[in-house]
Amino acid sequence: MSKLTIAIAKGRLQAEAVQLLSDAGLSLSPADLASRRLTTEDQSGQYRFIFVKPSDVPVYVEHGNVDCGIVGRDVLLESEASLLQPLVFTIGKCRIVVAAPHGWSNNGGGLLRVATKYPRIAANYFGSRGQPVEIITLSGSVELAPALGLADCIVDLVETGLTLRENGLTVFEVIADSSARLVFNRASYQLKASAVRELIIALAARSTRQAQNYD
Amino acid sequence: MPQSLTKIPAGMKYYLGREATLRRSIEQTALSVFAGWSYEQIVTPAVDYYALFELGMGEEAERAFRFTDSDGRLLALRPELTSTIARAVATLFSKRPRPLRLCYAAPVFRQQPPSHTEWRREVTQVGCELIGRNSQAADLEVLLVASEFLRNLDLSGTFVITLNDLEIFNGIAADLNLYSKLRHELRELIDLRNAADLETFLAPFDPHGRVREFTQLLQLSGKREIFEKARRVITNPRSTLALANLESLWITIEELGLYEYFDVDLADISRLDYYTGLTFKIYVEGVGVRIGGGGRYDSLIGNFGMAEPAVGFVVEVDPLAELLRNDRHLTQEDKVEIVEVGTRDLSAVFGDAMESRVRGKQIVINFSEETTCLS
Repeated sequence: MSKLTIAIAKGRLQAEAVQLLSDAGLSLSPADLASRRLTTEDQSGQYRFIFVKPSDVPVYVEHGNVDCGIVGRDVLLESEASLLQPLVFTIGKCRIVVAAPHGWSNNGGGLLRVATKYPRIAANYFGSRGQPVEIITLSGSVELAPALGLADCIVDLVETGLTLRENGLTVFEVIADSSARLVFNRASYQLKASAVRELIIALAARSTRQAQNYD
Repeated sequence: MPQSLTKIPAGMKYYLGREATLRRSIEQTALSVFAGWSYEQIVTPAVDYYALFELGMGEEAERAFRFTDSDGRLLALRPELTSTIARAVATLFSKRPRPLRLCYAAPVFRQQPPSHTEWRREVTQVGCELIGRNSQAADLEVLLVASEFLRNLDLSGTFVITLNDLEIFNGIAADLNLYSKLRHELRELIDLRNAADLETFLAPFDPHGRVREFTQLLQLSGKREIFEKARRVITNPRSTLALANLESLWITIEELGLYEYFDVDLADISRLDYYTGLTFKIYVEGVGVRIGGGGRYDSLIGNFGMAEPAVGFVVEVDPLAELLRNDRHLTQEDKVEIVEVGTRDLSAVFGDAMESRVRGKQIVINFSEETTCLS
């Protein structure tokens, strides 16, 4: 059977994703995980793993250099890559929200300034509601923007809400719920069908859907 | 020269030497297979009204390069050929006997979203259209033409053509009575094989367990065994009929010994708006995106007058050329005869050259220093 290459998003999701894979019988040796190598194989030799920045997972998978990946829905929405998404996992849960200082009201009147690491998600969200916005793209610490007067509100990822609260921000609207997903390249999905099927069955137990649907 | 003229616009490319030869050779392979099945070549205008493409392609037409005619009407560089051919068939060629078999090899132009895998904005397409017959025989003919083309490129064992019939989806979806935006969303979720979101989406519409029909669709890909499984979940008459048609097509493919080149994939819902029945997509190992596809479009031609059925496919030459660039069979060079100019008289030199050409030899004239100075 063809070997599959799986991209795993580094950072927030990585430990949970590795745990999920090992629960499904795809074990990585602790030595490999501890090393700084960016690519490794599972102990059966049937899967190869690469570790890349979350936003690079859809890029590798869409080009087909990597067959599949585990990545958050937030990253997928922002990348707009055309990938198959057969499984939704329960790990990496968070929400993409509109947050602003207490007392803010979005009356839909004037031009709204929105600071975010997710310019496409923000533009699509306000665009679909017909609201004119100025999107200000930042690469981190977005919570600062309203306090410093750079933006009226922010679009950001929230897990516990603690960072927001500590910076005097409140969630006003939830744009989308996010959790990790298994994504596939469209060509790999067809050309390596039996290996793909085996992986989906192995991982379905940890998804939001029941494994028996994949009999 | 100003910098702006040394730079090439994004998505455009020059091809030279072996690379150019290989591309031409892939086109020739396609055209000779088409000719072998008696498809006539058609050359279509590179520029046409934008409205024509919009009618055929739906919102995908937005990727066309657009500009205005002198009378203010919106024009486009062709982003595909099927719409243009459909119009010609209903008008110029309406009196020709049916079936019409047409084929082409031509560049098309599309703008690309910045992050898209396909960076090229000009790609060469080879394709064929069989017009005037709505029968399984016509569908099968086109599938066999496609698979012969790929086999002639020595791609046996590395390509797969996935088959579906859109009427299977249409039959299930019709019962839901969705307005177009929701129908579009439903198509998208199935196309992405996104079972979890599909279930959430369908929950409000599910009085009779149709969720099960839809979510099972996502997992119905494979070979003959699919039909048995599909019959268990697909019950409405429209879908059942389409499924039976697809199965009988599959059985013929098996009888012809071609099943290794094909797969069934009931979740493959094409995005082009004009397909009505059979649809198929073509994938090759080593290319991360589909290299082509096609299907039946029985309502497109009616937009231009006479309604009549049609089926066809298209394959993009560019990804194939990249994949096959090391293929010696397609890029082999003939033995070359060198004709030395030296100090000889030019009539003697070119007399030799013409004689070699008459024998069909490839020659190269090797100019001496002296002749270079003369020019």
